[in-house]
Amino acid sequence: MIPDEVLVLEVERFAIHDGPGIRTVVFFQGCPLRCPWCANPESQEGRPQLLHVVNRCTGCLRCTAACPHGAVSAEGPLPRFDRDRCAAHCEALRPAAGPGFSGRPPCVEACPAGALRVAGKLMKTGAILDLVMRDKDYYDASGGGVTFSGGEPFAQAPALLRLLQGARERGLHTAVESAGQIPSADLAAAEPFIDCFLLDIKHAGPERLTAVTGADPGMTGAALDWLGRRCPGKVTARVPVIPGFNDDETSLRDIFHLALDRGIRSLELLPYHTLGRDKYRQLGRSCPWPVETMGDPADLALPAGWGRDMGLSITVR
Amino acid sequence: MARFNVETPQNAEISRKIPCEKPPLVQLEIMERYTEAHRASTGESRFIREIRCLRVLYPALFREMEAGDLLAGRLDFLPIGFGCVTSVGGVGHYCVFAKLKAFRETLPEAERGRVDALYNYWLDEDLKSKYCRDMLSGDTVGPFIDCDYPLIVTARLSGMMLDYRKLLRLGIGGLRAELEAGLRRDPANDFYRGSLECLDLFAECADHLREAVERRALDAAPERQAELALIAGSLRRIREEAPETFHQALQLLWLYALLAGVINYGRLDDVLGPFLVQDMEQGILSEDGAFDILSSFWTLIENRRTTVNGRVVVGGRGRKNPREADVFLRLALRVAASSRYVEPQFTLRFDETLPPDIWDTAMDVLAQGATYPTLYNDAVNVPAVQYGMRVDEEAAEQYVPFGCTEFVIQGQSTGTPNVCMNLLKILTVTLNGGIDPMDGKRKNGSVTIPPPEALTSFEELYGTYKKLLDYYMDISVQAQLHSFKVMNDEVGFLFTSILMDDCIARGRALLDGGVRYLGGTNETYGNINASDSLWAIKHLVYDTGKYRLRELCEAAGANFSGYEKIRRDLLDCDKYGNDLDTADGMAVDLYNYVAQGVRDRGIREGMQYFLIVISNNQVNTEWGRRTAASLDGRLAGQYMNPANNPQGGADISGPTAMLNSLAKFDPRYHAGSVQNFKLTPRMFRKNRPQVNALFRTYFKRGGCHLMVTVVDRGVLEDAAAHPEKYPNLLVRVSGFSAVFVHLAPDIQREVMSRMLYDS
Repeated sequence: MIPDEVLVLEVERFAIHDGPGIRTVVFFQGCPLRCPWCANPESQEGRPQLLHVVNRCTGCLRCTAACPHGAVSAEGPLPRFDRDRCAAHCEALRPAAGPGFSGRPPCVEACPAGALRVAGKLMKTGAILDLVMRDKDYYDASGGGVTFSGGEPFAQAPALLRLLQGARERGLHTAVESAGQIPSADLAAAEPFIDCFLLDIKHAGPERLTAVTGADPGMTGAALDWLGRRCPGKVTARVPVIPGFNDDETSLRDIFHLALDRGIRSLELLPYHTLGRDKYRQLGRSCPWPVETMGDPADLALPAGWGRDMGLSITVR
Repeated sequence: MARFNVETPQNAEISRKIPCEKPPLVQLEIMERYTEAHRASTGESRFIREIRCLRVLYPALFREMEAGDLLAGRLDFLPIGFGCVTSVGGVGHYCVFAKLKAFRETLPEAERGRVDALYNYWLDEDLKSKYCRDMLSGDTVGPFIDCDYPLIVTARLSGMMLDYRKLLRLGIGGLRAELEAGLRRDPANDFYRGSLECLDLFAECADHLREAVERRALDAAPERQAELALIAGSLRRIREEAPETFHQALQLLWLYALLAGVINYGRLDDVLGPFLVQDMEQGILSEDGAFDILSSFWTLIENRRTTVNGRVVVGGRGRKNPREADVFLRLALRVAASSRYVEPQFTLRFDETLPPDIWDTAMDVLAQGATYPTLYNDAVNVPAVQYGMRVDEEAAEQYVPFGCTEFVIQGQSTGTPNVCMNLLKILTVTLNGGIDPMDGKRKNGSVTIPPPEALTSFEELYGTYKKLLDYYMDISVQAQLHSFKVMNDEVGFLFTSILMDDCIARGRALLDGGVRYLGGTNETYGNINASDSLWAIKHLVYDTGKYRLRELCEAAGANFSGYEKIRRDLLDCDKYGNDLDTADGMAVDLYNYVAQGVRDRGIREGMQYFLIVISNNQVNTEWGRRTAASLDGRLAGQYMNPANNPQGGADISGPTAMLNSLAKFDPRYHAGSVQNFKLTPRMFRKNRPQVNALFRTYFKRGGCHLMVTVVDRGVLEDAAAHPEKYPNLLVRVSGFSAVFVHLAPDIQREVMSRMLYDS
């Protein structure tokens, strides 16, 4: 992939939760982690994903006939997708299809109900910046800007750097949301163009972090250390509070300490939510995390209090 | 002579009217006397006839005051009478036949023949029927509101906003002196003569009301006696003299508006503010006292139940007394917040000089779900009006939105929307060889429409559509002008004329060469469905060659049944409302063609201005019911897009993109364009700075207007299912507010379909 192109899941305008003010968030596709509670599982793989919205499906099965690769078969009244076959054979689900590639998979093309869609497309960095600039006036009025999120934006580090430089040239405030699995050279190259890091800290225990999310604790730890030395004031730690993973007092206090020890004083607690669960189904997967009830922001008041007592500035989202 | 149904509903009537308090036989007698006065004055000048007829109606039609009223003046109206607008009674000497027929059923059998006699007399004499007989033709031009036609027309005098500053400065006596001076210059002038009699009638009505108030005071509680004494005192004063206090000023203004039959009130902050401040400074009125009086005024306006009118406008450029006006404005914001009525339509004009506390309070009131104030951006609208209406800046600063949003210049112009065009229906006719797929009738007038397969380029298709638009635009300006002619042939609208420049100076009634700026408006509907359809055609047929035009037309002809795939592809095409150059560009291009086409025709025909308005009260849904499936993917009979907004569900790129799309049209070519915005209370509460920045930036980028509904997700759906739980839930429809549960089911669906922004 040449760095002028980015595999993007979505560009969301008027985003008001990912950095200050009114922002546009560019969601990159592809992430080295596999957090089992992931709210956007279609953002994990670094290539376009076929989503089947079952409750829109009329069961007409035109998709089975349309697929030239034999990847769609009937399973009772509904179609079943052989995802490996899709990935191996479907031209439209390859990232290399290139920008401006307007072909949709034949199954999507054939669907009269709008029950099939592809998440993820290659976009030129220039086109992304043009789109972002359409709301420049709103950023200026609100202290907002652009946020690069994901997926993991650093998984496409050269393109991210290009976007950050472009944003800086256009006078935009920039934020990057990352899970922290960042090669040190990429981090050092990008940092001067980033005004605000939204850095996930999911767990302070390296073993537990790796076991559950697949993260490389050496790399996330190094990134955190480096940012702590270099620019702790730019960093807001983001902690998704996941029942059964890190919602106990010890885990949260450890995370708070980890942040404080690096000089990071701003921290956001994100209540657990289940909005991604249906997307697993759309991807033909089952959601690996068993908790089905939404977290209540009110329940985070207590941990927020612990953090504040420790000297953190805490926001519950 | 064109045949038409005289009993067609003549306007949107959502709010439930308060029934007439007179017994049916008394109502019948009044209508008989009115009819007799009309008949007996055949051959007299229309001004003399008008005042003779008015004398039958007033003071007879005044109602008893209600217990809490702090101002006098409530009116009934009957199926026969005199008026300006269809919302209260009818136009000129009118008969509302459907209502007369319903009234007949309330009478004893023996008396019903008397109604039949009236019905038959008015078949020949009702002003609007006369107009319809002249104007309606074939299957192309229909009456308000008959949704089978691409163009509907009417005669009415909507949206008059009188020069109340002059009224309050001169009082009735001062006006009388002006008219008498005119009559001395021109002793044969019946306009002056009739107008002078109108002022006599005003005084009689003031006396009538005062006597009623004094009678009530006899057995009233002591506290109420003081209130009644205040009212009686004001009535005594204003029967002839100019007002000295806030209460007198408001009483004079209200009684005059009632007798003139006008239902929009305009810039009251600037005319009443000085009285308010003076009374408060002199200690004769407390802020709470003023709040009570203004609340009573709000209630009186609400009780007229005019649905889409009742405009009270505050703020903005060109006020003579901005300091005092802002005192009134702040008080009115309090009243609007506490009253939660659908009327008055409380309207805030503003520019960058607006005091921050007023903006914040306005946002607070909106956040509570009041749907008011509705916001008008003077920085855009004043220069736009100046150009569009061809007036100087000083005049443009006196623009006021009336009704659903149409602009007039207060005290100086007419702007009544007497024609409506359905751009989408005209497109469906174009794509079907000149025949409306909805009813199989030919509606291409004199324009040749080739079959779809003969339209080999997009330019050819668009050109054919434009020719048919031309045909309808040509008729629309003639229909507007003819409405003025018929009204002027029949009546003088004397009360209105007295307070409109330059009627007294010229000695001429409003539509007889009296009004300074003779303007009018043309309501366009389905604009966005039409432009989205054009874009889809361009993309799928002419740019990518995916389909032939004939295929798309056949699919639409089948209402997409069996053509689901085509419909999906149509729906997937770029849509207006997402800040895309493609679909938005097409919307702007079509807008320019129609808006400039209408404006140019008005100028050519000698009007000061004739401009489109994009207001779409609820007719977007009603006309949608009778409009065929369209190539934006909309099904036959489905509502059309509301006002200047995207079709519900088509805007998927967030509020900044939607607002950017809204702001793309050149405001110089319309006289009002409604922009709806719906968000949740949570969004407002949790993200106020961002919402503020959102709105302010939209206005800075050229947004002319915004109507905000704040409602919780799921509430509208629940209210549709359980109306009894939501008797007071207000929503902004398009250009008017309504109690949600009073709306028809498909209109509710249309409102629900609009994007709701949440945090």
